[in-house]
Amino acid sequence: MRDLKHLIYFENLLQEANNDLVKQAKAEGKRAIGYTCYFMPEVLLDLPGCFSVRLRAPRCTSPDIATYYLSGRVCHYARSLMERALEGGYNFLDAQMATETCTATARFQEHLQQKHLDSVDDMRIIDNDDFFCEFSDIPFKNNDISYEHFETQLRAHVLEPLHEHFGIDTSDEAIRATVEKHNEICRLINEIGDYRKLDNPTITGYEFHVIQLVSLVCPKDLILPYLRETAEEMKTREPDDKKNFRCKVVLAGSENDDPDFTKLIESCGALVVCDRFCYGAVESRVPIVLEEGKSPLRCIAEHYLKTSNCPRFMPQDEMRARKKRIADLAKEYHADGVILASNKFCEYWSYERVIDTFILKRDFGLPVCSIEKEYINSASGQLRTRFQAFVESVEIKHIQEGK
Amino acid sequence: MAKNIKKALKDFWYGKPHTAEEGGRRLGELYEDKTGLLKHREWRGVKDTFYYMYMIWGYNYVHMITDILKYSNNPIDFVKGTWRYRWMGQTYLPVIHWFERGLQGMRGEALAASAWHYRAMVSASIQQICNFFNADTRLHGGKENQAYKTSIYANETTCGTMFYPWMDAGYRYIPMEMIPYFVTCHVNSHTVLNYIDAVQSIGLPGDPCPMCQAEAGIFVLDDVPDSAPFTITCNEACDASVSTSTLQDWFFDKPLFSLPMPMQFDDPLVKKYCMKEIEECWKFIEKQTGVPFNWDSMVKRLERQNKLQRDEWEKWEVAGKTDYYPINGVAQALFRIFSTQYGIQGDFWEEASEKVKKIMYKCVEKKINPFPKTRHRVIAWSCAPLYFSNWCTWAYNCWGLNCIINMDSLMFNMEIRTDSYENMLEDLAQYHMWAPMRRMAVGGMHHIFELWEYMEKFNCDMVAMYDQLQCKGMQGVHGLFEDEFRKRNIKAFWMPHALPDCRTVSRAEIRRQINDYMTTVMHEEPLDPSLLDFDDSMTW
Amino acid sequence: MCKIGKFFLKFLGIFFAANALLFVVFFFDLDGKLMFNVVEPFLKKHYDNMPRRDRLQEPYDMDKFPKY
Repeated sequence: MRDLKHLIYFENLLQEANNDLVKQAKAEGKRAIGYTCYFMPEVLLDLPGCFSVRLRAPRCTSPDIATYYLSGRVCHYARSLMERALEGGYNFLDAQMATETCTATARFQEHLQQKHLDSVDDMRIIDNDDFFCEFSDIPFKNNDISYEHFETQLRAHVLEPLHEHFGIDTSDEAIRATVEKHNEICRLINEIGDYRKLDNPTITGYEFHVIQLVSLVCPKDLILPYLRETAEEMKTREPDDKKNFRCKVVLAGSENDDPDFTKLIESCGALVVCDRFCYGAVESRVPIVLEEGKSPLRCIAEHYLKTSNCPRFMPQDEMRARKKRIADLAKEYHADGVILASNKFCEYWSYERVIDTFILKRDFGLPVCSIEKEYINSASGQLRTRFQAFVESVEIKHIQEGK
Repeated sequence: MAKNIKKALKDFWYGKPHTAEEGGRRLGELYEDKTGLLKHREWRGVKDTFYYMYMIWGYNYVHMITDILKYSNNPIDFVKGTWRYRWMGQTYLPVIHWFERGLQGMRGEALAASAWHYRAMVSASIQQICNFFNADTRLHGGKENQAYKTSIYANETTCGTMFYPWMDAGYRYIPMEMIPYFVTCHVNSHTVLNYIDAVQSIGLPGDPCPMCQAEAGIFVLDDVPDSAPFTITCNEACDASVSTSTLQDWFFDKPLFSLPMPMQFDDPLVKKYCMKEIEECWKFIEKQTGVPFNWDSMVKRLERQNKLQRDEWEKWEVAGKTDYYPINGVAQALFRIFSTQYGIQGDFWEEASEKVKKIMYKCVEKKINPFPKTRHRVIAWSCAPLYFSNWCTWAYNCWGLNCIINMDSLMFNMEIRTDSYENMLEDLAQYHMWAPMRRMAVGGMHHIFELWEYMEKFNCDMVAMYDQLQCKGMQGVHGLFEDEFRKRNIKAFWMPHALPDCRTVSRAEIRRQINDYMTTVMHEEPLDPSLLDFDDSMTW
Repeated sequence: MCKIGKFFLKFLGIFFAANALLFVVFFFDLDGKLMFNVVEPFLKKHYDNMPRRDRLQEPYDMDKFPKY
């Protein structure tokens, strides 16, 4: 396939959090608002006058100082974010909209927060006088009570602080306009992503991963033209005559903002056609529907709780249904199997992966490759062996089934 | 010669003195190598030896039997249950040795008062065991009897208070893992290893919280009685606990209600949400049982619970302001966490509390210092090693470190108003969110640094900082604690452990860490050098 | 000696003998040794060899329960 015109540019944007587009937006006087978790609705951080940046710590392989603070026994992702913050890599942030949705990232964000207490010294990690960090309480369930609670939390801990600190317009009209823009991003990403459903997809999992990530870490206004152009380019992109993959897989699991991991899988012959993981597009690029008779904020609250497949959700029906959703995705994307990847020390996904590994195989007949990985995958040799063996097993299954 | 005889007589009458300089008792020499069994029990002097023999050892053996007769519908079920469940047979038969480990070296009022706390815990444990076995369909040919129909299962970290409204109607709250997992770790640390291994054998990595691993492992190993028609689960204490619920749901496969404990509990908006979720939980129970919420049943028990809380405050007042508090560290911690978590389902907590208060006030009036060799008043912070909860007893005997209070005891630290439904619900929401390991560990890291406040309140000069290696929440504040200890010039030692798993950090290693701190940092000599280093690797 | 006296002496004898025996068990931790060396290994063997259900074979029905 011909290279995508903007791929290298996109790859460069992912080299650091404070990328060219972030710098440009800051120079235009916009406020950069950081967040880590899907449960913090990015759309609210993209209101006029500010823009969302989902935090990453690319190329952070040795988080030494962060290990002193968080210890070596919490996930590498949280430690890498902490290290990057300590290095000054997030000084461009004007605020961090925090969630206590997983312990490790909560601790990282608590270190950023200036508490002004006698009991513990503030570290002033983010060297920016305007910076503040605000926590919202995120429900564990997706029922009416939780929707209402989430709405009040978002109003009290996202909209009001943004208005108070930076004078951001948080009116319903402003939210509606932002949702519209957000939905355009979603439509473009989905349009690009849908090419993965083709028999011979015209986009690789790696390319899509890069595109999805830039949509999370760059100011939406500034990345939008590039995405539009890429979507146009995709319409005429021809696949290679010969399929250069041996099977297709859904990649599901915990936090993953490392496109090189997707590349590693694909180098072993498994094309990643669906990305159901934190930072993936499956949930985050579902357009938000603003319903009549409900406030836009309420619709947003409901949207994020209804679309999330996070193993943090506890209702019994939800615990069970999300297994089936992975199987449904495999069907929708014509995948031959599922790779389940959890970050080391991720407690939610350690369990979820174990259960999915059994259930997807036993009840849905899907071949499953279950692995544990680091945030930055230095142990790629071992993983490569695992993926190669998995691809071979899928091929053998195909041969046995006479496909 | 005459001097020797005089000393021998004195030792016989009063027991040998504590310290090496006084020609001490050398408790470490009582142990058999590796097993931790005693070559012989300590001679504590005539009075205390026979008090221990009759009022603790014998009394508890007898009462274990009377408790079984009291709480069991049919003692044969108890025997069948012992044969069926590993956590029962392997753990609870050697329960008296658990007393031994916690009470070693104690004398007089400290011995008596601490033992009453243990007695209450044994009674509560037997009640729970009987509740399990009375209702267990597996022990009754698959039949769902009346006891089964009137049992409410819940995750052990859901407080018993939540279920008071149904207790007048004969319902019982059975915390699913408290007896099979939590208490077993203290009594016999071997048992839980089977459950941890079981869950890892199906592919779970070794790094999630081992408590949650064990809780899930009981289900994997098919060792949970089938004693209730539905269950309530919650997200206490951590991310892994949330996930454990998923695995438990698969294997339990009955109606399950998730009762979340919101994280940002300082926020009044969050409390309102929590109140609504509690009410949803009650609706679920009403639907499952067909029995409505009973306000009188709730209030009756809440008032008893409040009284117990006030008792505790009285005890803490004495602990903080005087040297006359007669409860040792392990008896204080376990009684408090067990009683608050299980709630009022019998009168054992109140009985023990009254007896202990009586002993305590005797100490106050007669100015008896039950721990006369105290060199440092210690506050223990974070979550404790379950397999070595008696470290405080060892630390007092060996180094004179008297553990006055610990973090887990300070959870649930409130009364619940009973003057109106709204006030009760509001307080219950707070109580629910202040559960063990949450009150300090979530909702903003400023809670965990309340340590300084409690150090002052309990007049402590040293911190025993538990370092649960697999607790992500506590690991995540490790560096800041180091910084603050240095800045404040606070004497603190870290105690690495893996909650229930004695294979990760052994008891000997924990002792070594404390020994190193006391010799290299504090430059102190042990009170009883025989306790510095001994091999108890195979002990319960 | 009268009958009551004999009975009393006998009772005292049995009482002291029983207590002496109890004291020996107590003081030398014979109960602990019995549990550790005999009872626990026996029960452990029993539990290790007990047939157990393979929980992984149990159904996991996606639609079995409503939203609570």
